[in-house]
Amino acid sequence: MDQFKQKFKEEATDLINDLEEALLLLEQNPNDKDIVERVFRAMHSLKGGGAMFGFDHVSEFTHHLETIYDLVREDKFLVSADLLTITLESVDHIKDLLFSDEITKEIENNHSVLITKLSTLATNDVGKAATPIENQDNTASTQKSFYVFFKPNPDVFENGTNPLYLLDELCELGESRIISHSENIPLLDDLKESNSYLYWEVIIVTDQELNAIGDVFLFVEDDCELEITQVAEGNLLADEKVIRYLADIEKESKVVDIQKLEREISKNKENKTEQGSKESTGTDTSVISSIRVASDKIDTLMNLVSELVTTQARLSLFTEQQEDAELDAIGENIQKLSRQLRDNAFSISLIPLQSIITRFQRLVRDLSNGLGKKINFKTEGTETELDKTIIENLTDPILHIIRTSIDHGIEDVQTRINSGKPEEGTILLRSFYSGTNVFIQIIDDGKGLDHEKIRQKAIEKNLISESTQLSKKEVFDLIFMAGFSTAKEVTDVSGRGVGMDVVKRKISAIRGDVEVDSEPGEGTTITIKLPLTLSIIDGLLVRVGVTDFIVPLSAVQKIYAVNKSEIIDNYTHTVVLDEKQTPFHNMREFFTIDKEMPDTVQVLVVTYEEQSVGIVVDYVVGEYQAVIKPLGKHYKDQEFISGATILGDGSVALVLDTNKIIKQSAEEV
Amino acid sequence: MEEQINTNIKSYLSFKLGEEVFAAGVKNVLNILEMVKITEVPKAPDYMKGVINLRGAVLPVIDTRIKFGMEESEFTKDTCIVVCEVDQDGEEVKVGAIVDAVKEVIEIDDKDILPPPGIGNKYKSEFITGVIHLDEQFILKLDMNKVFSTDELVMLQNNQNETNNE
Repeated sequence: MDQFKQKFKEEATDLINDLEEALLLLEQNPNDKDIVERVFRAMHSLKGGGAMFGFDHVSEFTHHLETIYDLVREDKFLVSADLLTITLESVDHIKDLLFSDEITKEIENNHSVLITKLSTLATNDVGKAATPIENQDNTASTQKSFYVFFKPNPDVFENGTNPLYLLDELCELGESRIISHSENIPLLDDLKESNSYLYWEVIIVTDQELNAIGDVFLFVEDDCELEITQVAEGNLLADEKVIRYLADIEKESKVVDIQKLEREISKNKENKTEQGSKESTGTDTSVISSIRVASDKIDTLMNLVSELVTTQARLSLFTEQQEDAELDAIGENIQKLSRQLRDNAFSISLIPLQSIITRFQRLVRDLSNGLGKKINFKTEGTETELDKTIIENLTDPILHIIRTSIDHGIEDVQTRINSGKPEEGTILLRSFYSGTNVFIQIIDDGKGLDHEKIRQKAIEKNLISESTQLSKKEVFDLIFMAGFSTAKEVTDVSGRGVGMDVVKRKISAIRGDVEVDSEPGEGTTITIKLPLTLSIIDGLLVRVGVTDFIVPLSAVQKIYAVNKSEIIDNYTHTVVLDEKQTPFHNMREFFTIDKEMPDTVQVLVVTYEEQSVGIVVDYVVGEYQAVIKPLGKHYKDQEFISGATILGDGSVALVLDTNKIIKQSAEEV
Repeated sequence: MEEQINTNIKSYLSFKLGEEVFAAGVKNVLNILEMVKITEVPKAPDYMKGVINLRGAVLPVIDTRIKFGMEESEFTKDTCIVVCEVDQDGEEVKVGAIVDAVKEVIEIDDKDILPPPGIGNKYKSEFITGVIHLDEQFILKLDMNKVFSTDELVMLQNNQNETNNE
């Protein structure tokens, strides 16, 4: 049972996420029927599932919510800000109910408070909302005829389902005609009294959508043969011929032939294509298009793929030495396959940013209400996909950035009006791909960062000295230093002095980078740059001295061969490449390797802060697929190394972070 | 591991650094490797020799001689890497220690371990948790968690420099 409970909790998490998302959407479009429907369905599933798996308090509580949204659904109740606030609180409460280890006093109190609120809402406002909306909708409502084929599996009773109740529920939706089929009942000797042998066909005329009919069967979907088809617009049961046809069928105990039925009615109906009218219930399609997989299975897959890639490198090295044409061909094929397998396995572990957006929306909503600010949270490009591990580690930093934006960035309504801005502030979360990086930007139109204030603060906190000359960018970077917080007083939202430095650290931990740009009075943009994936990269194997290094291929634009005389004793640290002056950093100098340099060295041109910068290495060995492994805590000070990888011969090569190398090397020169 | 009946008897791996013999609790020792090719990590302290491939994982390797302030010496056929697992702020961290030679596993009762000498000790007393007197020889028992801790590495080095300068 525990196992099922666990499963339900997982499912409930999805449902709750969906519910929250739908509620936030509903706030934007209070009149959208589809969203109300989505909210209702999520609640309905929560209630049903809760009852089935013994979460009675969840089920009972959700029932109260459902009652209200049923009214909303029927346009007897208006969606109001109050309603949404209480509903969101209720959703939080459901989370508590589901995931707390024990039900504390606090949760219990909350429980009764919320139920009282909900019931008052339900009774109070019904009358008010009912009149205006109903008038509009009744005129527009159209009746449709559906054909339902419902054949429960023989063991349906074992789950405690009574098909007759379902039929009753179905008939409540509108006018109906049921044909029951008893031809499957076996002779008495073979009859098992615990089995169900009947099946039914129903023609139902209702103004509800197909989904509403599907909802009736929501919990037996897997235990029956079910077919729901919209056969016609309008009332089919008003048609003499159809009634006669159905009567005939019942007499001869035949199954309704939908096509024939459709032909009967097609004469006076518009030409509707079969496909258009035939819809499977929503859940069916989603089952086929995606499956749920435990994340540790994906982790295992990724590990196996990593090992395969490493082993493949050994194989490549071996085949090279053998000089056997056939072995070569096999080796190359394995290489191709492992590359494809790697890409595929990666795409499995990618999830869209959308999956964490709801939490941000929630934060913006709750926090802006609490601070009396008006904020519109917009998102762009949330379909951008990122590695699962990155997404997991990204939520907290982004939450913190948004929190800071709301607290310090966006001004209150009065200030905004005074400075000629729209009273509603905007926070935009934007995400896009660029090369092999993913960028996430959080842009607000608040008061921006005060350049001079940051400088003063940093001097005050002894982070820099009075005389330090800093560029604009460097000043902004100060806010990421530990112990820096510009808030004048500590609020419960931000300004505890821990914050942006933690953001920076967390993002660095997933090999990302974070930058700030700001225009006083205009707003602030925080850009997070992330690698697409953490574990395997396409790299360039290079050698400096006796040591092998991997440079991410994505960073390298071009490779030039240069005579060593151009590098050695070159005090300008620039070299002319393609008739362009290019500053360079000699890795031998940087790594303090004394050995004699080869006569010809190679310069990798990489992009650093939108400039081309050269990195001088002895020799480029070739392309290499590198499985990145952590270097461990003992080398935490070697920031310019992002990890290590095992080469084909079993030795270790270090993976370089070109940005950090150039930054550090530039500081040393 | 430790026996139920007399839990005071524990096993130690003894190894040589120069003429000195040290002992490490076997519960910290995972295995012993022959010397392999070590990939040097640039810009790291001297005693951080580099990294090696330990069955597909990357293992940092420390030259214990340099770390203990001894002269660096050529590796011989006896030189090996003792793979240890040490506790770092509640996290298990693996690290390889290069030693001149591994001797044996000895079993010592806790009561036979003498307290470390307070004065005249070459090594920081925090790292030596006791002295074992065995076969006319003194064996220094090490606190592996402290010796190979990521923070202490820096501290010990600084300390060594200071003493060298004096």
